[in-house]
Amino acid sequence: MNFWFSVFRQTGRNLRQTWTTQFMTCLTVSLSVLIFSFFYLIYLNMLNAGDKVSDDLRLVVYLEEEPGPEMQEQLRLKITQFDQVQEIKFISKAEAYSRFAKELGDNRDVLTDMPTDFLPASIEVTPLRSLRSLSQIKLFSEYLATLPGSQKVQYGQKWVERFYYFTQLLSIVVLLSGFLLILTATFMVASTIRLTIFARQEELELLKLVGATNNYIRTPFLLEGILLGLMGSLLGLASLYTLFQWILRHFSGAGFLDLFTFTFFPPEIICTIVILSIILCTAGSYTSMQKFLRI
Amino acid sequence: MTETTTSSRTAMIEVIKVSKSYPPNVTALADISVSIASGEVFFLIGRSGAGKTTLLKLLSNMDKPSTGLIEVAGMNIHQVTGNKLAKLRQKVGMAYQDFRLLTERTVAENIAISMEVSYKKPQIIRSRVRSLLAQLQLEDKHDILTGDLSRGEQQRVALARAVANSPTLILVDEPTGNLDATSTAQVMELLVRCSNSGATIVIATHDETLYRHSTHRVMRLHNGKLASLTRGNEI
Ligand SMILES: Nc1ncnc2c1ncn2[C@@H]1O[C@H](COP(=O)(O)OP(=O)(O)O)[C@@H](O)[C@H]1O
Ligand SMILES: [Mg+2]
Repeated sequence: MNFWFSVFRQTGRNLRQTWTTQFMTCLTVSLSVLIFSFFYLIYLNMLNAGDKVSDDLRLVVYLEEEPGPEMQEQLRLKITQFDQVQEIKFISKAEAYSRFAKELGDNRDVLTDMPTDFLPASIEVTPLRSLRSLSQIKLFSEYLATLPGSQKVQYGQKWVERFYYFTQLLSIVVLLSGFLLILTATFMVASTIRLTIFARQEELELLKLVGATNNYIRTPFLLEGILLGLMGSLLGLASLYTLFQWILRHFSGAGFLDLFTFTFFPPEIICTIVILSIILCTAGSYTSMQKFLRI
Repeated sequence: MTETTTSSRTAMIEVIKVSKSYPPNVTALADISVSIASGEVFFLIGRSGAGKTTLLKLLSNMDKPSTGLIEVAGMNIHQVTGNKLAKLRQKVGMAYQDFRLLTERTVAENIAISMEVSYKKPQIIRSRVRSLLAQLQLEDKHDILTGDLSRGEQQRVALARAVANSPTLILVDEPTGNLDATSTAQVMELLVRCSNSGATIVIATHDETLYRHSTHRVMRLHNGKLASLTRGNEI
């Protein structure tokens, strides 16, 4: 009780004595939280967009022959050997014909002279709705091409590849900005705490002489790290939220945002980011203490 | 002041064959042995450079002896570490020759420090600070930065900080060096009060008016060696 009272008072003194540096550090931390969470937010939303895209995404395997029920079962087994899929659908020649006729609509007269089995039978494979399966789609199509009786495999190749590379790129940016966050949080906080320690060297020395325990001397610095992490991340997330709202207001209805619903972080991720930056800042503070606080 | 018979009481301080040398070859203390009883008032005299401050630093665990052993309250203080050392230091108050005040802090804050580290309640700290300042006639300096005080005032604040936490051992280095007769009397009165409540006090000084008419033991150092150990009124 009295210990914490003393520790809080001590922390208050620290902050008052070096508040400009503390403030700048807090801003730096919040800026890096902002940058990191900005890209991370886009990344998460892209993953959701991936879900939407793969709704229409099917791999179509054209077959030489129409498979009988036994063969269908075998093909099904082979396909699921590669990966779990959402759906496998066999299209017979007749079905293909009637579908095509439907698509032609009023122009179906052109089909009158055609035999009803001129279109090949096919299998429509709908992969799982995850970015992982999206990223494997090329491999998957190659695998499908090796199925017995397979003639040709089709899917929205270009589109899928572009989307895939874009999310790859984004994940690299997320990693880089996460790295930036780690650097700034630990190193900036470490150097700030170092400054505080130097600014109060005389006092720390005296505290030791009059019998302050290690905890009495150290806890305020740890607390400072925690505080910097907390304030920095909250400030960063708050600015991201403001930015997010602003973008929604100014760009909604502009087409591209309608492609997918743009959502903010769920509470768990917000908590994780806050806790993570607290841990990083505390670690920064701790390393400085280990190095510069001789007690 | 206290009785002069020391043998019947337990020793607060045992200094056994202590030497201290500084590199390259300064011998600040050579082979000092002395025992100071609990509750005793003990004077340490000698010319400037005799080794008085060095001995007090060793007693307060600011520095380690080169050879020899120092026990305070039955503990070899140079083997104590961590929280035990902190506890021990809370029980030893030292008024440094160079004061070691935090010049950017007020008088009250400086005195409070020694009590804060042992988690005294704020209202207790406040009243103790006021009472000490009253005894040293510094009431009006309560909220002044110690950097703005005269040396005599700083010296008294340093003493107030040393005794504030009611330590069982009080080490005072040249407490009256910058003081006039009235202030000196006040300082000695304060120390007598501490002594009456049971504290052991070691005073390094070269102001012989402090001990000349007393029966306290006086140890004279000369070039780091023990030159004499007598009662004040026998010198
Ligand atoms: N840190 C130190 N390094 C080197 N020599 C020192 C140091 N401290 C004290 N001395 C020397 O030790 C001797 C005793 O000093 P000190 O104990 O301060 O004397 P006093 O307090 O009696 O005036 C002096 O010669 C001084 O120069
Ligand atoms: Mg001296």
